[in-house]
Amino acid sequence: MSLEYLAINFGIGAILALSLNIEVGFTGIPQFGRVMAVLVGALAAGGLMSRIAAALFGFPWGVEYAENSARYATAISGALSNNPPIAIVLLMFTLILATILGAIIGYAAALPALRLREAYLGITLLSFGEILRSVLYNYTPLIGGTKGLSIPDLFRFVQGFRSQTAIIFILFITAIMLIITERINRSPLGRAMKAVRDSEIAAEVYGKDIGTIRAYALMIGSAMASVAGALYTLFTQTIYAYQFSRYEFTFLPWAYIMLGGVGNNLGVVLGTLLFSYGYNV
Amino acid sequence: MLAILFSSITYAAILSIGCASITLLYASTRTFNFAHASMVSWGFYMVFILYKFFGYIPYTYIPIAALTTAAIGVVVYILVIRRLINIGASEITLMMVTLGVDLILFASLNMVVDVLKRGFGIDATKINIILADPIVMRIWGTPIKYIHIVSIVAALTIVIALHLFLTRTNLGIAMRASIENPTLASILGIDINIVYTLAWFIGGLLAGLSGGLLVLFMEGTTTIGFDIVVFYFAGSIVGGLYSIYGGLLGGALVGVSERFLTFLLSYWIPDIIAYRFAVPMVMLVTTLLIYPRGLAGLVRRV
Repeated sequence: MSLEYLAINFGIGAILALSLNIEVGFTGIPQFGRVMAVLVGALAAGGLMSRIAAALFGFPWGVEYAENSARYATAISGALSNNPPIAIVLLMFTLILATILGAIIGYAAALPALRLREAYLGITLLSFGEILRSVLYNYTPLIGGTKGLSIPDLFRFVQGFRSQTAIIFILFITAIMLIITERINRSPLGRAMKAVRDSEIAAEVYGKDIGTIRAYALMIGSAMASVAGALYTLFTQTIYAYQFSRYEFTFLPWAYIMLGGVGNNLGVVLGTLLFSYGYNV
Repeated sequence: MLAILFSSITYAAILSIGCASITLLYASTRTFNFAHASMVSWGFYMVFILYKFFGYIPYTYIPIAALTTAAIGVVVYILVIRRLINIGASEITLMMVTLGVDLILFASLNMVVDVLKRGFGIDATKINIILADPIVMRIWGTPIKYIHIVSIVAALTIVIALHLFLTRTNLGIAMRASIENPTLASILGIDINIVYTLAWFIGGLLAGLSGGLLVLFMEGTTTIGFDIVVFYFAGSIVGGLYSIYGGLLGGALVGVSERFLTFLLSYWIPDIIAYRFAVPMVMLVTTLLIYPRGLAGLVRRV
């Protein structure tokens, strides 16, 4: 149990820390609203995927689903466990949906990022996250508001090894994220991001559009965090707005990147491992 | 109606004291203080703990709580912030570091709660001493408690005291000088270090005062500072982070908008009460998008 807990904390935490690293470490955007993108990913998995699964198997998928989610989710999970191809397709679909929605919310966050600086930007992003969380917590039809929502289990078809499979899948995604981040780090885009971080004027002189680069960083980072949120929701099989606290999904990833070294991908992953291990002991 | 008006003004006064703290620290040391959350929680809990041990009137312990957080502020400055400023750390680094300090303070407060539970049998996981505050009088049947008067008086006193301090005393003028231009101030023989230490002392004092007043106004757990710190941030950002008066005004605006504005709006939109917490945030974002430097961007003064 304990090892499982460590693995899940590490996997999700590492993706979040890497996504923060792109925004904070490479581009210098004080992203204190990480939880916003995570919530969007959770929404993709909890709010949308579960509805689609319900519609596929002929269950009610409107407001009725939110009202009686535990019963429907159990029934859908049972149906999915006999239908591995559909479960896998749904899984892929959730991840793609989370990526797209995350990128959209990242683009929305980029609008103030062009006008505001440092502390002002950090607090604006923080309040974006709070607004979304507060609205989701109170708005019942989508994800059940204060009651939360149970969602179908997509890993049930692996009989008996459900959580192990889920964890291996999450760690696999984490590894892919690390490779992507490392690739961005060495690409022209990554160098442009660092130029913006170090000196905006110098980057502008060399013909880089600061707005575009900041928007790219926010979109990539938010998409990654959104995937992390979707994976976490799929693993826990529930979605509840206050589960995604500011402490766990914004401040702890900040602690990871501080421990690992801002701007250093491998260091960040190592920092996450150390921190989650320390947390677990 | 009247009860909501009183409670929103009280809340606004408490918030504005904390916002003044954030603004002061940002204006003087360029540090956006995330540790404010735990400092408020410490003030909150210090009053509760002292009240549990010694009884009497909770208000007598608020100064002690404020001095405790002031001491925490000074220690944080001397151990952490001073070194980072000396090596020329960026604003984002300073923000991150105070976030780390915040986590440390939060963890140590939880340890204190554990010690209270194990050693003294006091369950302090959720505290509520609002009832210890007697009712002073009634206006048209609406009860007014001491906290309603004390917090407003405290906020007004702080405005006047800070104004006198910053404009009439040598130390205050030195502080304004070092906020405006640290290099020039140090050339003129002002010891920047002492000024900054003092700024953190006052900052911690105000944070603790805000937390200490809060304990008589609402119940809470160790995460109280954490839960409402967003409103402190919102208030100080709306105020503009450059002028302490702006911080006080911003805090008051946020406090009033969260309680009173939502109450007024609920006549037209009944559902809005549930989204109470989002109202000041939306206000903050709109303000910033119109005036990227906050309200103080309109009238620049320190």
